Amino acid sequence: MADLTVLAPVGGVVHALADVDDPVFSGEIVGPGLAVQPTGTQVVAPVAGVVAKLHPHAFVLVAEGGRGVLVHLGINTVQLGGAGFVLHVAEGDVVEPGQLLVEWDPVAVEAGGRSAICPVVALEAAPDALTRLASPGAEVSAGDPLFRLA
Amino acid sequence: MSKAEQILAGLGGDANIVDLEPCITRLRVEVEDPSKVTESVLKAAGAIAVMQQGTVVQVIVGPEADTIASDIEDLR
Repeated sequence: MADLTVLAPVGGVVHALADVDDPVFSGEIVGPGLAVQPTGTQVVAPVAGVVAKLHPHAFVLVAEGGRGVLVHLGINTVQLGGAGFVLHVAEGDVVEPGQLLVEWDPVAVEAGGRSAICPVVALEAAPDALTRLASPGAEVSAGDPLFRLA
Repeated sequence: MSKAEQILAGLGGDANIVDLEPCITRLRVEVEDPSKVTESVLKAAGAIAVMQQGTVVQVIVGPEADTIASDIEDLR
């Protein structure tokens, strides 16, 4: 199976998952990854794949080989009930890397007292399967390479 | 017992659940009495981890949280 390059779904500043204020993500309980503190409003597909799960505030794409990539838009944003999120795809859609999936306003999320940081998680992957292509502290644009998955 | 039945039992049963909501990797549950939640039962049911803060219990089950939540709703 070829390595999978996972792109930044949002532009912003890269963080380690350990920086995320949520024990499930910071503890890498559902998998390793990186997070992006977003600056833009557009969320793009990090990989080619099928939209396996779609909530307004989070989605899972399943790429070649059944590898799942979870993107969570902000922390505790399930509490927003979808307000402020515009979806451009539906569950079951096949998407291309870089395709626009969701638009949202991370500034408004932060103004509401929640972190807008976006964990990007390689679901159930082994920690050593992941190679960082962007380092914590670096600025990325949506669609820039974030990590590679063996 | 199905996974949903085991998780419901681990949460102290239907009567102990005030609210249950699936997020993408977890069930967020508000319970009546946190002492009726049994972490070992939840883990035996397949929970990867259990986080408890007061009456709010997060059962980390992975991406199938939606399916498990609807199975639990069907039992209630």
